[in-house]
Formats: sequence, structure tokens, C-alpha cells
Amino acid sequence: MAYKDFRDFLDTLQKEGQLLTIEDEVMPEPDLGSAGRAINNVSDKSPALLFTNINGYKDARVAMNVIGSWPNHALMMGMPKNTPVKEQFFEFARRWDNYPVAVERMESAPFQEVEVNENVNLFDLLPLFRLNQYDGGFYIDKACVISRDPSDPEHFGKQNVGIYRIQVKGKDRLGIQPVPQHDIAIHLRMAEERGENLPIALAIGCEPVITTMAAAPIGYDQSEYEMAGAIQGEPYKVFTLPGTNLDVPWGAEIVLEGEILAGVREFEGPFGEFTGHYSGGRSMPVIHVKRVYHRRNPIFEHLYIGMPWTETDYMVGVNTCVPMYQQLKDAFPNEIVAVNAMYTHGLVAIISTKKRYGGFAKAVGMRAMTTPHGLGYCKLVIVVDETVDPFNLPQVMWALSTKMHPAHDVVIVPDLSVLPLDPGSNPAGITHKMILDATTPVAPETRGHYSQPLDAPLATDKWETIFQDLLNR
Amino acid sequence: MTTCPRCDSTRAELVAESPVKGAWTVHTCPVCFFTWRSTEPEKITNPDKYDRSFKVNQEDIPNAIQVPAIPDRLGNR
Ligand SMILES: [Zn+2]
Repeated sequence: MAYKDFRDFLDTLQKEGQLLTIEDEVMPEPDLGSAGRAINNVSDKSPALLFTNINGYKDARVAMNVIGSWPNHALMMGMPKNTPVKEQFFEFARRWDNYPVAVERMESAPFQEVEVNENVNLFDLLPLFRLNQYDGGFYIDKACVISRDPSDPEHFGKQNVGIYRIQVKGKDRLGIQPVPQHDIAIHLRMAEERGENLPIALAIGCEPVITTMAAAPIGYDQSEYEMAGAIQGEPYKVFTLPGTNLDVPWGAEIVLEGEILAGVREFEGPFGEFTGHYSGGRSMPVIHVKRVYHRRNPIFEHLYIGMPWTETDYMVGVNTCVPMYQQLKDAFPNEIVAVNAMYTHGLVAIISTKKRYGGFAKAVGMRAMTTPHGLGYCKLVIVVDETVDPFNLPQVMWALSTKMHPAHDVVIVPDLSVLPLDPGSNPAGITHKMILDATTPVAPETRGHYSQPLDAPLATDKWETIFQDLLNR
Repeated sequence: MTTCPRCDSTRAELVAESPVKGAWTVHTCPVCFFTWRSTEPEKITNPDKYDRSFKVNQEDIPNAIQVPAIPDRLGNR
């Protein structure tokens, strides 16, 4: 079911009624950012947007909100567009177990059509624009950024594909934010300890599976390409850049090649972030862009980010839930049922679990905080019974309102790590964390009156299936 | 010479002109790296009207927190 490239996915969205093409002229500011915000305000089933007439540009095209709804996320996985989120989660988890699927190496790539080796001016090559009004500049915020481990450059799995915020600061100069929890920060530290620049490539306008894997918190030595192969069900196509030996997604619209300058930090930001707040200005690493490849008449893909929910939240929803689920299952294979870590990228996580004995659910909550992703997120972990669907917030609220006893079920652990972008952390990167145990007490905990739970009328499951079939027609 | 609306430096430079002639220009500031387009509202392009809470003081820039911090170089042995 793999999509050949970005345009192939846009064609599918078009056929499924999930792409809105805007041919009327728009202004780069404020129209593009505003439209990206607005499309998520209107619906959680909203289409992707393709702008084809942007004031001042000739032939420029900008795509936004490409995975910005549950139908688009389902189509990315090759599933019917109204597949419920919980089913998308379990299917994603099932395919995850097929890791690794070896890549397919290609001899040439469509983005080699145009190559710019000198006088690179990104302002001329890309239709750049400001997203939120007090952003410090124009950003590239949905590029797959590729780098290799300088101490083990031949290790394919340690090559990283990630998504980081990137400010365009000059004609061939970018600022990048690698927070310490990110894999690229490990690569950069190694390079800087050696006094070497870190070669890097940015691929813009990729089919959505690699973008989703680039945004997933997978293991340091796991390959995003081999995981993309597992998720799409066939080998992922990559092309090796001759200059830097970096493997990039074969179907990219635009590829920038350059290096992060060792030992250089420069003012960057602020930028409206997924936390719904602007990050302050900080001193961040700098990329010198040496070469640009692009398809003729390329499509520039961009994403609106800001107060949840936005495309970011759909994009990092299921792909954050699944690794945390897999890591918790490693510890408690017979108990963990499902994990919903899709609220502000998992700053809040909801875990559905069976219990072995009283106190067990609290242990599950603490384990979540020590998973690789939990170290930077999981400020609030809500633990619910195996019968509660963690993706169904009314059910979660029911569990909180009836199962949680504030005297027994609130655990606060002081001064743990969190990503520095959490606007409540103080100092940045440190916060207390909390577990709310909303599971039914089991022995030796015997408090409360829980012996007569209501169950659904006998044929409810049958009728759910009937209605789902009717709605799928 | 153009004034940066955010940090008031006078060293801002023209970096792009619209491919369709005359639609707009883009300037960037080499001090605070602010970038703006001539067609943006005055609250973005005019130094006197830029939101005070988002203004950047040039003297604060060298003291901004490094993310990530620059590590020490490994000794040559
Ligand atoms: Zn400035």
C-alpha cells in the first residue's frame, strides 16, 4: 500500500475528498498561517490544503495540514478514512512488530531534476512565510532532517531521521532546535566534541509515513526507514546523496544539503509551539546550506503549529502512543491494554491496564515516566481499568470521577525531567509529575463500593458492528 | 540601511524581492535574525509599533541560554 511519493498521497487525498485546493490568490501573511489554524478549528475530519496562487510568487505551491485529521491519518496507513482512532492505534502497533523491513536503495531520485550548487538563496527557492504573528522569522517546520552518528557512521540504524523546527535566518543559513532529548542532539554533541561540523540533509515534501516515523520517539539505534517499511508494508525507498552519504527519502520534493557548524550558537526564535505558547528566544545551532535539489515546480510542505489541536497533534498522536505502549508491554506484557499519549505530545498520558494486586496501577504510572519518551513528557499520567477506552475521554472522565479517591490515588513525584519547552517547567526542563490512579481498587485494597458495575445491554456489540458498516457505506 | 522592527538595529538587509516584480520585499536582521515581509501589518514591520513584550534588547542576545550547550572538545591523545 506504500505511497510512491508526496504527490501520490495528495492524489489519494483528492480522490477521497480530503484535499482542498485553493486557487484564489492569497497573501503569504497572514493567509497561509491563518488558514492552517482555521482548518483545525472547523473539524477533526478536515482536509489537507493546497495553495496554488500565492501573492508575489510564480508557480509556487504550498501544502498544509496533510496529516491534519483522523481521516488523513487513516489514509496514510491505507485504511478507510473513517477508521476509529483506537483501531488505527492497534493496527499501527501490529505493523510496528514487523520491524525491521530493509530499505530499497534507488539509483536516482526525482528531486535531482534541479540542482543548485552556488549562490543558494532559500528565500528565492522556497515560498517561505511567517506562521504565527510573533514568530521570529520564517520557518521550515515539517522537513525530515537526516544525520549520521559521527562515532559509528556506517551504522544504518543510528542514522537519524527527525523533525525539528528550523528558522531561515539568511540566504543559506538556518537555525535548528535540537533539544537534549532529541537524537540529533546526540550526533551534534559527538561532532562538536571532535570539533567537526555535522553533515545534514533536510527533505521537504515527503510521503507521510516517513514524516510520521521521523516524528515518532523510536529507539536511538532503530532506523526510521526500516520502521517506515514496517508501517507501510513494503521496503522504504531511499536515495544516498553523493556529497554526504546521507540516505534521504527517495520521493522528496526538495532536499537541502549542508552542515551544522561546530561550536556555533546564534539567537533563534521565538516560535509558536505545540504547547500553545511561544518559546522564548535562545541561542541555537546554525546550519550552512551548500546545495539544494528540487523537483521542477516543487510543492512546499508546511505545517501549522500552535495551540492544540493542530496538524502536529494528529501527526504525533498514534506514533507517540505506540512506542510507549510497546515499552510498557515489555515490562508488563499481560496487563497493558492501550496507551493514549496524544495530549500535547504526551505531557498527559492515559494508560489502560489490568491489575495484579492493589497498588499495581501506580507502578504502571511510574514506569511510564521512565520510558524514553516519558523522561521528557508524561507530566500527568492517568491510569484506568482494562475496560476503559483511553481514547474515549468521556470514559476517562467517568473513571476519574468514580474510581479515583484523592486521599489514596494521587501520587506526586518531585523534580523530574521534562522537555524545556514545557512552559510550566521551572527551571526549564524540571517539573513535578503526577499519577492519578483511576482504576478500581483490588485486594489488598478493598475500599469503596464497586461490586455492582453496570454492563451494556446484551446485543450492544452486534449493533455497534451494524452501525459501523452502515456508516462506512 | 533599514531598521529592524524587533531589536532596532540599523543593519537589516534586503534578502529577497518577489519573483513577480513589485509585490513585496523581504528583509532580515543580522543582529537578532528577525525576518519580515514588506506586506505584513505595521505592528510587525514598524519598530515603533512592534509589540513591546516581543521586542529584543540587543544587549541580551549574547547572554541567551544555549540549547544545547556547546560541549568541551575531547583532548587529543
Ligand atoms: Zn533585529
